[in-house]
Amino acid sequence: MKPFSKKKSLETTNEFNQVIVGNSLTKDAWRRLKKNKMAVLSVIIVSIYILLAALAPILPIYPYDEIILDHQHLKPSFTKSSGELLLEKRMADLFTQAWRQGRLELTPEEDDMLWAWIDKSEANKVWEYMFQRGSEMVEAGAYTFSSAEQRNLDNLAKKLKTDLQITVNRVWHTVEETGEKENVEKLPVDQIVALYAHMIGSTVEIEQEQYMREIAQQRLKIIQTQNAEMSAEDHQLLLATEMDTMSEREKDRLVKENVMAKIKTRAKEIANTDLKAAAGDESATFPLNKEIAIQDTLSADIKATKMHDRRYYLGTDHQGRDMLSRIIYGGQVSIAIGFIGTITSVFIGIILGSLAGYLGGKVDYFIMRVVDIMYGLPYMLLVIIAMAIFGRNILNLFFALAIISWLTISRMVRGQIMSLKNQEFIEAARSMGAPTWRIIFRHLVPNSLSVIIVFSTLRIPSFIMTESFLSFLGLGVQAPYASWGSLVGDAVGGMTLYPWKLFFPAATMTIFLFAMNFLGDGLRDAFDPQSKNQL
Amino acid sequence: MSNIQKQKPLLEVVDLKQHFPIESGFIIKRQVGAVRAVDGISFTVNEGETLGIVGESGCGKSTTVRSIAQLYKPTSGSVIFDGIDLVNAPKEQMLDARKNIQMIFQDPYASLDPRMTVRSIIGEPLEIYRKRGMLDPSIDKEVIEKRVEELMERVGLNRAFKNRYPHEFSGGQRQRIGIARALALNPKIILADEPVSALDVSIQSQILNLLHDLQKEFGLTYVFIAHDLAVIEYISTRVAVMYLGKIMELSRSADLYKNPLHPYTKALLSAAPIPDPEIERKRKRIILTGDVPSPNKERFGCYFYDRCPHRMEKCKTNIPPMKRIDENHEVACWLYE
Repeated sequence: MKPFSKKKSLETTNEFNQVIVGNSLTKDAWRRLKKNKMAVLSVIIVSIYILLAALAPILPIYPYDEIILDHQHLKPSFTKSSGELLLEKRMADLFTQAWRQGRLELTPEEDDMLWAWIDKSEANKVWEYMFQRGSEMVEAGAYTFSSAEQRNLDNLAKKLKTDLQITVNRVWHTVEETGEKENVEKLPVDQIVALYAHMIGSTVEIEQEQYMREIAQQRLKIIQTQNAEMSAEDHQLLLATEMDTMSEREKDRLVKENVMAKIKTRAKEIANTDLKAAAGDESATFPLNKEIAIQDTLSADIKATKMHDRRYYLGTDHQGRDMLSRIIYGGQVSIAIGFIGTITSVFIGIILGSLAGYLGGKVDYFIMRVVDIMYGLPYMLLVIIAMAIFGRNILNLFFALAIISWLTISRMVRGQIMSLKNQEFIEAARSMGAPTWRIIFRHLVPNSLSVIIVFSTLRIPSFIMTESFLSFLGLGVQAPYASWGSLVGDAVGGMTLYPWKLFFPAATMTIFLFAMNFLGDGLRDAFDPQSKNQL
Repeated sequence: MSNIQKQKPLLEVVDLKQHFPIESGFIIKRQVGAVRAVDGISFTVNEGETLGIVGESGCGKSTTVRSIAQLYKPTSGSVIFDGIDLVNAPKEQMLDARKNIQMIFQDPYASLDPRMTVRSIIGEPLEIYRKRGMLDPSIDKEVIEKRVEELMERVGLNRAFKNRYPHEFSGGQRQRIGIARALALNPKIILADEPVSALDVSIQSQILNLLHDLQKEFGLTYVFIAHDLAVIEYISTRVAVMYLGKIMELSRSADLYKNPLHPYTKALLSAAPIPDPEIERKRKRIILTGDVPSPNKERFGCYFYDRCPHRMEKCKTNIPPMKRIDENHEVACWLYE
């Protein structure tokens, strides 16, 4: 007996006490699918993708939206840290410069080769070659850096060594009388403002006023962008009403946010100057967790890491963001769009298609004409218009894709249901007095489910493609969010210089789409035992 | 003979017509004609008897029982069951009455939902009526479960097969599932639409015997369709012969086979082979000329006029009424005026 049987009470045994289990068509199909190696492989790949995307927040990867401008366009490397890569790049630059100025001499063949590369604008090859040759020549003593170059390199090396990345986790306030520590963020607003005023040596009143002014400025900016067509007076009016209607709590929250941000910035500055020296003479090891004093009673918990110790296995993009984490987070968006889009469109398609197919007559005519008309409209144009009307965010993208893509499914379901509804078992159900919804959802839909499942599996890639296409055009996911499509779109510009930016997202996407398609094919074969190419 | 007469009719069909419209036209549909599948038939079914309906393919046998079961809305006429006219009754009342009318279907492969277990197939009518609140409130899931097991045993299926799916059974077993399903609601009348014609002969006899036993046990009434005359002879109390949507002859089973009156019945009976080569070689067969005419057009004369070997001038313009020849024998033919 199996340890996990569905329900004990529903189990049946024959006279020899053997459990009799039915073999449903789905079970059969699953068994056939398991024989299909490609399909099983695809299932594994797809599950890994989904797992990675779902677990992205707890994976040990850098934040996908963290911009480090120093790390722009670093190439993928498993062995070298970003600091080493930066140094290499600088040296390659210097060597190339020296070569062009004639200070670094190569053989005429090498010159020709390099010029040919430059003509074809293959700068990467030039740099790589120059770095390799230059290092060799320095080692052999055939070339020495000029003093300016040496200084340049030393400066860079020092910067790489001492650049820190500091995050402030918590700010503490020590109560003088008791020596107890309080989390500043949890204190009431007035006290925080008082602490801050004391910190920078001004009075509470001045600070209060200044913050209200700053908040008003921020609000005004938001209002201006939201109502671009209105005049400046209107903006002022809107702002006035908003400031009047804003509740005390809301105001407090805004003030608190502002002040906390300032305190944290201050803490960062202090920590930076404190630790820079330590990083320089290597008296401290990084990453480092430490509590530092800000002023008087204020102190902060900080975490400091060496910024240039980071490793980028898949390189970085034009703003120094880690490609690996961007691809994983992009996968989250892309896969979610694939699945959610498919589920919504299947849902709408099943309901409308089955109603049209089963009820027939006027209902069928009406629904199908709507479908025909929508088919007539250009699909992409509709999505683009919808995105333009409702604004560009991920939810609207889901919505726009879903409202347009149920057409094919509903047609397919309708066809299935029309062929099934004259079967005798449907007549039998009707003769038993089954209501329409029961016939549709208990008999017709489950019997066409195999086709629906196969179709929707093949549909997921097309959703991902559509989303990628939209993102590629700049209509889909907006920065700082990423999707595979937007990553590819961003990368196309610097394709020859930074091929990894294009290659990795594209390869990730291709593998996923491949797997999905193989899975769909496998499912189709599995659900259709009569198919010719069964295994 | 006389005890049949005394019994009150359970089901009464009065001038039932079932026309399927033929539509044509683009966007705006226009009815250009109708397939007269059933064109005005009347008969009664008494409690406890079996009414056999025979006829060649396309004569409207199946349409008749489907109209009785209200699977199609009849064009006109009435189907009176238990004093309720099913055609015109409000839906709730109709459903309540139809609980007592269940169907067995021809194709045991197509009539069971391939995605349901035997348990849910047999329990489905109970489940549906329970959800509609038309069953005794004491009937809950467990009672249904018990009933399903009971029914499976009764029709000769091992109750251990409850969790199996239809495709795991043979044709005969599936037909037994279909019968169990029809019995689930304890109906008074079962409409059997060629229940054995898709089975092979040895299984046919098993199923027929099962139906016979069930009739005796539960006092069921059958309306039984077949195109196999031997099957009809075996199971029926009375037989109706249909042709082109009309009843040609209605008689006690024994009388019909001994003494067919209508020319069509004679031709039909003579088409069945006799399992004795001596007699078979000698006997003279009545061979009808021509095909079954299209049921699309309206007829004003005898429906069998085109193919009748004894046709007369009168037959062309006058529809023969059902004429009672003796107590249990009615025929629609001008020959017996």
